[in-house]
Amino acid sequence: MTALPVAWFLALSGALLAVGIFGLLTRRNFILILIAVEIAMNATILNFVYFAAFATSGTGLSGQAIAVVLIGFAATEVAVGLAIVLGLNRLKGSINVAQANELKE
Amino acid sequence: MNLEELAFLALAAVAVGTSVAALLVRELVHTILWVAVFFVDLSAIYFLLNAPFLGVLQLGVYAGAVTVLLLFGIMVTRKRIFSRDAATGIGPVPLALAAVTFIFLVASLGEFPQGTLTVQSYDPTALSGALFGNYGPWLLLLGLIMMSGVAGAIYLVREGRE
Repeated sequence: MTALPVAWFLALSGALLAVGIFGLLTRRNFILILIAVEIAMNATILNFVYFAAFATSGTGLSGQAIAVVLIGFAATEVAVGLAIVLGLNRLKGSINVAQANELKE
Repeated sequence: MNLEELAFLALAAVAVGTSVAALLVRELVHTILWVAVFFVDLSAIYFLLNAPFLGVLQLGVYAGAVTVLLLFGIMVTRKRIFSRDAATGIGPVPLALAAVTFIFLVASLGEFPQGTLTVQSYDPTALSGALFGNYGPWLLLLGLIMMSGVAGAIYLVREGRE
């Protein structure tokens, strides 16, 4: 039976969330921003799976079920994000978000 | 230190390293490769946590679909696929904010129960029972959101918009 310290998992999640926030704030390329959001989102999903794995009785299944739903949400988010990337590329000829500064088409 | 702890430490180091590398390398295609390694690594952590269904889902959805979608996005937005990104410096403010976030999160660990907890193992069949039982409405909501996401994506990229 696997036994692992809880704090390690939380530290890993925190580190991944910090990396995601860092990428979100520093990158200008839309695709890199999407990837940073994905990294932060994966940190969250990882948390659900940890606590699901450590929960006794049937409550752990709830955590895993929520993780399944979250993975689906994240995939949808990437699809819509890439559609925005394509639209931005068509409008501006570049996917640098610094150029998307007009609140109109 | 037992084998599971060593495996977890190795996987965690790879996860943090690949995620940082993905955001810092200059070539976008290399970013996608690093992020693919990151997703595979996370699925290995799910297997370590006795969640095989989530591990397989992570491999299929993230390492498979999302990676290909991102590559496709690069392919259609660049004239040359292997072209370097414009230099974006690492400002002190984002770095400090990320560090503060991490320190705050780690400092809050003192309030969590310390020590080791045993990883429970669940039958994937029981997970499907939970998904289609108690979490049926959630699954339905996921389907609806995915459908509206597809509709929104098609609206955003359709030709001949004014």
